[in-house]
Amino acid sequence: MSVYQTFITDCLVVGAGLAGERIAVEAASQGQDVIILSLVPPRRSHSTAAQGGMQASLGNCAMGEGDNPDVHFADTVKGSDWGCEQDVARMFVETAPVAVREMAVWGVPWSRVVAGKRILPDGREIEEKKEKEGLITARDFGGTAKWRTCYTADGTGHTLQYTMDSIVIKLGITVHDRTEAISLIHDGENCFGVVARCLRTGDLRVYIAKSTVICTGGYGRLYSASTNAVINEGNGMFVALNTGVVPLGNMEAVQFHPTGMVPVWILITEGARGDGGYLLDKNKYRFMPDYEPKKKELASRDVVSRRMIQHIRAGYGVDSPYGPHLWLDIRHLGAKHINTNLREIANIARNFAGVDPVKDLIPVRPTQHYSMGGVRTNSDGYAYGLKGLFAAGEAACWDLHGFNRLGGNSLAETITAGRIIGKKVAEYTKDATISYNYQLVDNAVKEQENRIKALVHGWNGKENVYELRNAMEKNLMDYVGIFRNGKDLETAVSNLREIYHRSLKLGLRSNGEGANPELAQALRLPGMIKLALCISYGALMRTESRGSHAREDYPKRDDVNWLKRTLAYWPEGADLPELKYEPVKITELPPGDRGYGESSAQSKGGK
Amino acid sequence: MLLQKTLTKSNKTDLYLDLAELTSGLLLVGFLWTHMLFVATILISQDMFNSLSEFLDKYYLSYVGIPFIVVVALFHFVIAGRRIPTRMQEQRIVWQHAKMLHHTDTWTWVFQTITGMAILVLAGIHVWMVTTGWPIRAVNSAHRMESFWWFYLVLLIVGEYHAGFGIYRQFVKWGWFPRKPIGYVTKAITAIILVLGLAAMFVFVQLGGAL
Amino acid sequence: MADRELTFEVFRFNPQKPEIQPYLQTYKLNETTGMTIFIALNRIREEQDPSLMFDFVCRAAICGSCAMIINGRPRLACKTLTNTLPNKIKLFPLPVFKLIGDLSVDTGTWFRHMSLKTESWVHTSKTFDPKAQEERMDNETANKIYEAERCIECGCCIAGCATANIRDEFLGAAGINRVARFMLDPRDERTPAEYFEVVGSEEGAFGCMGLMACDDNCPMELPLQMQLAFVRRKIAAIGLGYKPKKGIKLA
Repeated sequence: MSVYQTFITDCLVVGAGLAGERIAVEAASQGQDVIILSLVPPRRSHSTAAQGGMQASLGNCAMGEGDNPDVHFADTVKGSDWGCEQDVARMFVETAPVAVREMAVWGVPWSRVVAGKRILPDGREIEEKKEKEGLITARDFGGTAKWRTCYTADGTGHTLQYTMDSIVIKLGITVHDRTEAISLIHDGENCFGVVARCLRTGDLRVYIAKSTVICTGGYGRLYSASTNAVINEGNGMFVALNTGVVPLGNMEAVQFHPTGMVPVWILITEGARGDGGYLLDKNKYRFMPDYEPKKKELASRDVVSRRMIQHIRAGYGVDSPYGPHLWLDIRHLGAKHINTNLREIANIARNFAGVDPVKDLIPVRPTQHYSMGGVRTNSDGYAYGLKGLFAAGEAACWDLHGFNRLGGNSLAETITAGRIIGKKVAEYTKDATISYNYQLVDNAVKEQENRIKALVHGWNGKENVYELRNAMEKNLMDYVGIFRNGKDLETAVSNLREIYHRSLKLGLRSNGEGANPELAQALRLPGMIKLALCISYGALMRTESRGSHAREDYPKRDDVNWLKRTLAYWPEGADLPELKYEPVKITELPPGDRGYGESSAQSKGGK
Repeated sequence: MLLQKTLTKSNKTDLYLDLAELTSGLLLVGFLWTHMLFVATILISQDMFNSLSEFLDKYYLSYVGIPFIVVVALFHFVIAGRRIPTRMQEQRIVWQHAKMLHHTDTWTWVFQTITGMAILVLAGIHVWMVTTGWPIRAVNSAHRMESFWWFYLVLLIVGEYHAGFGIYRQFVKWGWFPRKPIGYVTKAITAIILVLGLAAMFVFVQLGGAL
Repeated sequence: MADRELTFEVFRFNPQKPEIQPYLQTYKLNETTGMTIFIALNRIREEQDPSLMFDFVCRAAICGSCAMIINGRPRLACKTLTNTLPNKIKLFPLPVFKLIGDLSVDTGTWFRHMSLKTESWVHTSKTFDPKAQEERMDNETANKIYEAERCIECGCCIAGCATANIRDEFLGAAGINRVARFMLDPRDERTPAEYFEVVGSEEGAFGCMGLMACDDNCPMELPLQMQLAFVRRKIAAIGLGYKPKKGIKLA
């Protein structure tokens, strides 16, 4: 028999970002015992990095006048390229304003309306009304009809997360940070909790719960260039996928941002191009006008991203130890403009690349930004396939975002879905009982113990963890990026399959003792490669272009054949996901033109 | 909640101690700077020095002032000294910390604790020498300076260092003025006092030699 | 510049194996353009020593995970470019916090404890009404609160603080700044006496000795000296019995 610590609770939340903490708060305030597991202290979660803001149709600011949930709904559905669940979107837009106000009561210092006239950068004059002074204001974001993005200066995610965590602390909710869920305990029908590994000591632990909620965020780090935090490796998604009965939805829907800064892939916001920045190639030649004579650098995000990749492929990229990139040039805007209006961008360039944008070019390239796909749930947050399992936030495919997420809707999803699904989780947990088979739990732990032993002793082989990881990242980046086509996707699938097989023969180079980081990576890698296969195989099979999924060989949206959602299952012993499809729920707005971008295959998302 | 903390709740001792440290410190700095200005009157003339001293004696200012300052100094030593780590291990931590951290203000504080201790001993000796050689007159002082100039050189530097950085630190802690300018001002005053002190010493030693 | 060979001297110790004394391990690495300590450490782990422990999360100076002592200064490793450093780079974990291994320390537990001690949440008797319009707030007040809330709990101020190094219970600049954040917030209904209870001791406002390593090393460049002094003055005034006219919500 193995020695491990066991924790029993009502509700187990895996992931302490905004979605996870919001659900924990809901369950705890309804009297349930809650444990949150997190890879890192909650306040270090990737949610804090969302600086832009969250959408909610309060309609307080001048440019948001006349806004209401209906307008927000239409924006969201169009943004998703009709890939989202419309009942979910409806629920979401109705709840978002409530969620924002609730956060205000809890302590978020939302930026407020200041009455008076001012002139926008484009020359328009607006007037904020006296009667709205002091109410929560909003800023402009791509793809929205009204100014709807509520914010706190340049740290919206930060203040939301700190406030949410303050409520978690106030309620005395148990948080086990530096703890990683490495498998779900289940019998094919019910989920009983997780086997977890302590990242302080390396010990295994068992968590038994009536309800288990996956809120582990996205999988950005499957790509070698991602704006995501390094912890975003899709953990929750692959532990769910590993059960064989829980499907992942729309994994091929991956959002890219055109200007991630080389080499650390921190996002350079659109402001730089919006204010007149150029994109240059290795010959310092401004290439965008050749591709997009009208809009040039200001074409929609995905168009710019695609053109950049096209140009790099044509051999005009700048070589660097971090792969080819292009230049962003804002020098001609002048020191004064750069140091005031674009201060944030200038600071990022100076601090993280040692580049002074007043004198130097900024190295950029399109970078993975958001994962629309995830653990498929119904509109109440129940995961498909296992009773007692829930998911929310970026880790889930609740399906608010369809094939492209609207800027400002990610942060909004976390607390809104948290509020809605939290109630459902609490309801479910109240009526559930804990009963589990001891042998089942013990076997689940043994399975993990054996995996660890095999890795430490190299019983299955001596494949290098980091080598394989880099190979996986490169394949996704090169073949399943912004431009997709049948040939590349086939290459990716076949390469990744081979990498997957090799990943079953991993062996550590270090001793794997204690909180060994190589072991942690080795335990995750096969799951990550499975996700990579779900993305590339799903993309290969989807022979249309929709939202962020852009096929060169199928450039048009195809509502006749593809107005449906991909569900990827991973049967035991397989080396490819099994794909099933389900219809998209359309309750209000029938598929039509998105009304922006040069063709319906274009997407416009936001940070 | 621990029993001992529950029973001593809402205690304002720490506040009063902090204020006592502030007040005694300010008093001592005020005294020291005035003292040095008085001493520097020798730069003008012996008569000036003597008459000032006689004036202070006449109105019993020295007889009240000296014991008062001694008491305040002892008080300050005890109060401010509460911050100095007393356990050997803590002292080693602080030393290790200062060595690891490349940080000027941390080093100045380390030296401030050291100079604080030194002042207790040196100033004690100084008071004893002065009171046993009463009254304070240019001639007496000149004799003392000539024989013990090395002692006074150390005391002067140590004392001014401690006072200068002490007052800077109080201003920083209470935030009445921004940190950078207050740093320049206190450093400038300290430099002036040091120059005056050194000059006075030079004059006294010359005077002592001439006698 | 790009051709330099960098020598990293990295503190190694695993508290789970105390029989092996702490030591400095040397790694050599060729510098590349735009290299940060984040990139360098990951390359060392991938290419030379997969057992090396360190923490990064956002690698963009937002999350506060990667603070360490870099050539004698507490800094965020993600925000430190190697071209600003000499050829020899010495890396130590932050002191004060519990050591997990090598460069990794447990800041999370320390900060949760601090949040509990300072009761870092808005104390209010109001309940949330989902149908009501939000309460108004002056935008300037919101900005002031945000200014104090910008702290990312990286621990640089605590590690650099001599008091925190020897007094376990000292709240440090992060803790006192946290109290300032709530003192500024009109939604928080705590009375002056209650605030005095939280920071009116040497574990709080009066424990600071004014060494200002916090102020000099804050990667977010928070005005810590002013925040510390603000709390010290306000708390002293409360302790001495001043009754502020409009509560203590005035900066």
